[in-house]
Amino acid sequence: MQGGTRKKFVQLARCANTLMAFDITLRMFRYRPGQAAHFETYAVTVPDAANVLDAIEQVWDKHDRDLMFRHACHHASCGTCAVRVNGREVLPCIAPVKNYLDGAKALTIEPLRNFSMVGDLLVDVAPLLQRQETAGLVITRPVENHLDGKPIASAQGLDPESVETVPFNRFEDCIECGICLSACPTMAASTKFFGPAGLAALKSQLDKTTDPTERARLLDLADDEQGVWRCHSAWECTETCPQNVRPAEAIMALRQAILARKFGFGK
Amino acid sequence: MNPKRSTLGWFWQSVTGLALLLLLGVHFVAHHFIAAGGLRDFNQVMAYLSNPIIIALELGFLVSVTIHALLGVRSILFDLGLDARWEKNVTWALTALGALTLAYGVWLLYTILQTGSALAMWTR
Amino acid sequence: MNLSLPENKKIRFLRWFDFRSWRLGMLAYILNRVTAIGLVLYLYIHLAVLSMLTGGPAQWDPFVALARSPMFLALDVLLLAGMLIHGLNGVRVALTGFGIGVRAQKPMFVALMLVGAVLLLAGALKIFME
Repeated sequence: MQGGTRKKFVQLARCANTLMAFDITLRMFRYRPGQAAHFETYAVTVPDAANVLDAIEQVWDKHDRDLMFRHACHHASCGTCAVRVNGREVLPCIAPVKNYLDGAKALTIEPLRNFSMVGDLLVDVAPLLQRQETAGLVITRPVENHLDGKPIASAQGLDPESVETVPFNRFEDCIECGICLSACPTMAASTKFFGPAGLAALKSQLDKTTDPTERARLLDLADDEQGVWRCHSAWECTETCPQNVRPAEAIMALRQAILARKFGFGK
Repeated sequence: MNPKRSTLGWFWQSVTGLALLLLLGVHFVAHHFIAAGGLRDFNQVMAYLSNPIIIALELGFLVSVTIHALLGVRSILFDLGLDARWEKNVTWALTALGALTLAYGVWLLYTILQTGSALAMWTR
Repeated sequence: MNLSLPENKKIRFLRWFDFRSWRLGMLAYILNRVTAIGLVLYLYIHLAVLSMLTGGPAQWDPFVALARSPMFLALDVLLLAGMLIHGLNGVRVALTGFGIGVRAQKPMFVALMLVGAVLLLAGALKIFME
């Protein structure tokens, strides 16, 4: 092959290769109890359409079987894999590697903040789950006639009468991934705060019940030094939430409900 | 967590905050923008305080700013995740500091007015 | 520097200074807190300074002359900046807390800060023109 043709061929091959796969570097947070935490760098090759979780799995697959991380569904419905990529909270299962590639082609992967660390990317999410349980959050809403604040009948073109009688199951928006607790500056300073996810769960439960005893219990939990009043309106929870739960809005709505109860106006 | 303890700190923070937007506006503009040279000399201060509405506004400002500032300090300290005993201590200490601040402010205003009228008598 | 290391647990709020994760909301949070602490300190300094008024013009007027020096005027501009940032951000916190403009809190913050910048500029000119 002549020099010029060969050069062109190599360029073409390189071009095709970049369409197929990336060579990237992962700076991974590594930690074991009793040992010093540190970063370790791994070179991996991932397909063009890879998400960050694919890259993490490559590290586990090709470099270090001791890597501790969590995942299950790979499509943002289980909420187990949340980590920080380049300092920001994401679900790596739906975060394209491409979005993070700058000139350096390196990604820094760290565990969520504001939880106790177990090892590597693994944190203890028990405090989050305990709060959700206290709020009484269930996985599905048993009967629902409204979706995003609009009656389902009008949104779906159904007969309102029939919708009233048909039980409609809907999954809760919150997937208990812990991202909002990691992004919340108040949570960063104090572990006593009930936290954005927990307060959003309280609001969600409040909307579902008309039982005065249960409503009073939920509002008592929210109306506390460490409840809705501890929030200082950074709105980082709503900004980072991958599921549109909008915890900050839930906190503001709970404040209305608490003030309404206290001063006897509204509902 | 103590669900029985009602918490209106945030509500009062908002109310005093709104009051401060108005009162601090008046206070700052009156003392630093309207006054010639950006700050009143003693006789100008006395002339300013001769208006009872101004005295009422300055007292309102003193009360609002003290409540707002100390509720804020309490909030900042509580954010550090104090245990229950320290939360109680902080609340008591700041309540005492607030009372002292208000007492000092009122004493100061009274003394300044006394000084002013005494000097006025003397120079007349 | 990594701020989520377990040995940093005791001073948890140091995690605020992981600048990689800062967005507008975090900026508002920190600005509000920094100005709050500054304004509380100023309040008590101010109250202490005012005690000079009890000494009559002999004590107060020399201080006024000092306070009209450029260095003090620069501090006045700093004070005005702190008051504007804290007060205008407070408008956002209070309004959204009462359920007003919750979906517009970000543009609201930006707009309020722009208003603050204009007022600061006007105030600074006024302070130094005198």
